[in-house]
Amino acid sequence: MAVAHKEVLHIIRDARAVYMALGLPVVMLMLFGYGISQDVDRIPMSVVDQDRTPASRRMSEALVAGGDFVREPDLASPDDAETALRSGRVKAVLLVPRGFERDLARGVPAAAQLLVDGSDGTTATVALGDAAGILQATSSERAVRASLSAGPRVRVRFNPTMRSTYNMVSGVIVLILAMVASLLSSLTIAREWEQGSMEQLFATPVSRSQIIVGKLIPYTGLGFVQTLLVITVGSYMFGVPIRGSLVTLFGCSMLFLLAMLGTGLIASVIAKSQLVAVQFALMTSYMPVAMISGFMFPIANMPKWLQAISMVVPGRYYLTTLRGVLLKGNGIDVLARDAITLAGFASALLVIAVWRFRRRLA
Amino acid sequence: MSEDVSIRVKALTKRFDAFVAVDDVSFEVKKGEIFGYLGANGAGKSTTIRILCGLLPVSSGDAEVAGVDVVHKPNAVRHAIGYMSQKFSLYLDLTVAENLEFFGGAYDLFGQTFRTRRDAVMHDLALETLSRELTGSLPGGLRQRLALACALLHEPQVVFLDEPTAGVDPDARRTFWRLIRRLADEGTTIFVTTHYMDEAEYCDRVGLMVAGKLAALDTPEGLKRTFVPGRIYEVQGAMIGEVQKSAADLALLDIEPFGAALHVRVAKDGPDAEKLRSEFTGRGVHVTSVIDAEVTLEDVFLRVVGGAEKTGRAPKEAKGS
Repeated sequence: MAVAHKEVLHIIRDARAVYMALGLPVVMLMLFGYGISQDVDRIPMSVVDQDRTPASRRMSEALVAGGDFVREPDLASPDDAETALRSGRVKAVLLVPRGFERDLARGVPAAAQLLVDGSDGTTATVALGDAAGILQATSSERAVRASLSAGPRVRVRFNPTMRSTYNMVSGVIVLILAMVASLLSSLTIAREWEQGSMEQLFATPVSRSQIIVGKLIPYTGLGFVQTLLVITVGSYMFGVPIRGSLVTLFGCSMLFLLAMLGTGLIASVIAKSQLVAVQFALMTSYMPVAMISGFMFPIANMPKWLQAISMVVPGRYYLTTLRGVLLKGNGIDVLARDAITLAGFASALLVIAVWRFRRRLA
Repeated sequence: MSEDVSIRVKALTKRFDAFVAVDDVSFEVKKGEIFGYLGANGAGKSTTIRILCGLLPVSSGDAEVAGVDVVHKPNAVRHAIGYMSQKFSLYLDLTVAENLEFFGGAYDLFGQTFRTRRDAVMHDLALETLSRELTGSLPGGLRQRLALACALLHEPQVVFLDEPTAGVDPDARRTFWRLIRRLADEGTTIFVTTHYMDEAEYCDRVGLMVAGKLAALDTPEGLKRTFVPGRIYEVQGAMIGEVQKSAADLALLDIEPFGAALHVRVAKDGPDAEKLRSEFTGRGVHVTSVIDAEVTLEDVFLRVVGGAEKTGRAPKEAKGS
């Protein structure tokens, strides 16, 4: 395939394309994975220990041991705690009053306090939630355990520690593939229009579908490498498990990739200018994936009409399969419907791209 | 279509909305002929070429290229034609060899067949030493030769060249036309547009486009005889106003500024240069010299366009020239 070979050369010659295809995904993954973690851990916490007993030490150690809190230098008085919170040096202060161990031994409700900086809403909520469990366990072990055992027990399956990184990384994989695939492919045909080489190409016996397929092959290959890269990074750096089959994973990834390449090609075919094509591609692939695929905001929380729109976002189905394979270890038996939907999108979009691609100039 | 006709165009018309780019044009081009299409920008030259290459649908009329009806079967003609579009449109980020390889592949040339043809065109167009150069780093003349090489790889019967020498230096232009002549001598039909009048002299026949119409069509000599009959003199050192005053007395057919001088035309049996000079001097018109001048296609072009303007068909500026 002459077109495919030429396209490979274009990609190799264009440092930007290589960076965009292979560098950008890693950078994005780092940003989202590290920077935009919704997990709150390592909350800086100081302790005002006025009891100084084994019980009070046990309590502060329990908080730090969980990894959610980091021990900052101790403070002398509750007034110091107020100052530290105001200055933002710490986000939480544990106050253990005199007589804490004694009260505990007597079975009197022990009055230890955790002061949390509420101006950072997310941190505060998480800190409170985390601490409540730990504090209850250490302060009034018997009573609490009794009451808990009677109530419903909540167990989180597939992601027991509720690591948002897992969700984030799988979402970012979808986002990256959507963005890079549609972006790169949107440029390729528009560039030929802009440079006038399309006219030259049309005067040769090369057919429309040959041009489209020729452009698809190298970008699919590139996308495959990208998928590999992103999943490897996700799994090594962020410990995202791969519980299902790699074949299913890559199969679905390829289908999604083709759908995104198709979107980009349609943009490219219609727009005839690189700038417009890129914007069109971002609007039709990146934005829907980011907003309504279920990556950032749960689909179930959306208004009905938005849920309906999300039905035609291929990213939604890919995200389901990706999370299914990575976290749940789902096989193709469970994911067949999503996979078929993806295949449907891919072929429909590519057919539209070829159909809209006019061989003639006007 | 008879054996020796390569291009046949009949009542061809192309409209873009209200604008008529090509207006009821008919002509034939023989095999091995260099057919020049001359005209101002927007006169419909490129539109005609694009139609003949099957790149634009027509509004009405018929067009056959290499025996293929390009109006109804535009895709069937592609193996038979080579096309070099106006905008230089090879891939600048590929090397010379890679561009050739791509277009070879596009024309279904592979393996030994391709290598033989590649070596042949590279030899013919003196590109051998450049195969590893990036196309973007080449000067205009070489790019143009490479574009021609790409258009010739598959040994087309008809080659369409749309302003092939635009932006190319005079030396490279001469080399280019030598190559064109050789191709034609080997039996390839050449259809070339240009707005360089001197280049049109290289053509076997020239069609003159004015505002979408084919205003004239003949050999360069024939055009000159028809449109600029008689003799032309170059008159130096005279004021055009003074010369015009004695135009009627001396039976001057035409007075045109030509650089710093004037071109003055008289009938075939009119006065010779020496006679004309003494006539001017006798009438008190100051001239420094009167010498014989060649009729050029530029004179023809000005006459034809001038004639068209008088009948109200001025060439319009238009897109998609």
